[in-house]
Amino acid sequence: MNWIILAIFAFCCIAIGYIFSLKYKKRADFFKTLVMLCQKFDVEINYSRERLKNLFLSFDEKTKKHLHGLDKNFLSYLDNATTLDEANLFKNINFLKQNEKDLILLFFKSLGRSDLASQSTELKNFEKRFEEFSTLAGNENKKYGSLSIKLGIVAGLVVVVLFI
Amino acid sequence: MLKNILPENIYNIIAERISFNAINEIRIRADKPIVISVGSGRFFLSEHGLSGNLKEAITASKVMIEDIIFRASECSIYSVNEQIKKGFIVTSGGVRLGIGGDMIEENGHIKTMTNFNSLNIRIPHAIKNCSLSAFNHILQDDKLLNALVISPPGAGKTTFLRDFICQLSERNYAFNVLVLDERGELDLGGSVGNFADKISFATKKVGFENGIRSLSPNLIVTDELGGEPDIEAVRYCANCGVNILASVHCDTIENFVKKPSYEKLINEKIFKRYILLSMRNGPGTLEGIYNENFSRLTKY
Repeated sequence: MNWIILAIFAFCCIAIGYIFSLKYKKRADFFKTLVMLCQKFDVEINYSRERLKNLFLSFDEKTKKHLHGLDKNFLSYLDNATTLDEANLFKNINFLKQNEKDLILLFFKSLGRSDLASQSTELKNFEKRFEEFSTLAGNENKKYGSLSIKLGIVAGLVVVVLFI
Repeated sequence: MLKNILPENIYNIIAERISFNAINEIRIRADKPIVISVGSGRFFLSEHGLSGNLKEAITASKVMIEDIIFRASECSIYSVNEQIKKGFIVTSGGVRLGIGGDMIEENGHIKTMTNFNSLNIRIPHAIKNCSLSAFNHILQDDKLLNALVISPPGAGKTTFLRDFICQLSERNYAFNVLVLDERGELDLGGSVGNFADKISFATKKVGFENGIRSLSPNLIVTDELGGEPDIEAVRYCANCGVNILASVHCDTIENFVKKPSYEKLINEKIFKRYILLSMRNGPGTLEGIYNENFSRLTKY
């Protein structure tokens, strides 16, 4: 019985470490997807000139899930002719810093608002900024993400050792 | 369609107090009152509907204009850049928005338009059977004659062309019709019948050449002939043995005959029928049908 309780404690410690690491992974995947979104839009608007809504809808579902509903929030704004603000756009997204939110809001506010040449230039500029965020988030994920898991494992082992 | 384009309060006033069926145009200018054309009259838009009182008029803003253009382009202004360069956008429902603003030129070519400051929203109306009076003059003994519809702006040229194509289809005349829809106004969501192909947003020259080669039409229908390239495209079409039904801006037959750019078409008698429309009794009033020698065949 004691061994089972010990195993549960150890598992919980590792799980807590893993949950902490998820935040960093989410951020890394999120910014990587934003970069991909910019790249896709730049290509599509230059060649097919497809409408914004269709671009979002045709974006790969598996990749899109890393946006954690940001695309749906934006589509909802397009459909309902409401104002695009931080509260609406980042509904259910709580892993972004304020400066990141500001830039992303600016990005979405600029979408579809200008002619082809200006839109393409804007997309490239935003892509660069998102790449910077992506690199930082990737580094954080490597550093703190794996650290959280490791700490979880260590904590689990400590618990086991202390009980033994 | 206008529900997705107009600001909610403007749309509600029009829908509840005026009705879109009665409206021909909505003029929206930055910091100016919104003007609505109903029949041949013009009124201000107020909270209570149409008004002749300037003090009651709702004033438009630049932001409102930008937002309407954004919505009309389905939130994708970049996708309608080629249209904006020509000064208009046509929505998927066939509503044409004429746009005023600053043209940006680069190396002698228009790059885009910015700083939008005015809009002319033209509401299309499908008037069933409006071309019937002229139908038998254009189609005689099951043979089509080249025809040109002449009218001042807003007098129903496009509506006439659209209805003529529908009449052909409804009567099962299986002519292969090519609708060259340079401004995207002729086809109101599949309204061009069962025997029509469509080329949209191409110039007359490109559309005629490509269309004749690839789609082998019996009849080409196109709106608003303009300068020399359009005239040459019509001559090319006639020389290929393809019939044409087109329209042109002009108020009277006398003024049309005086237009130097149409001299060749008139002298070569390419058009066998001229149909004159006016606004006398509202848009689409048929004033007369003329033959290639400008002898009046009927008077209305």
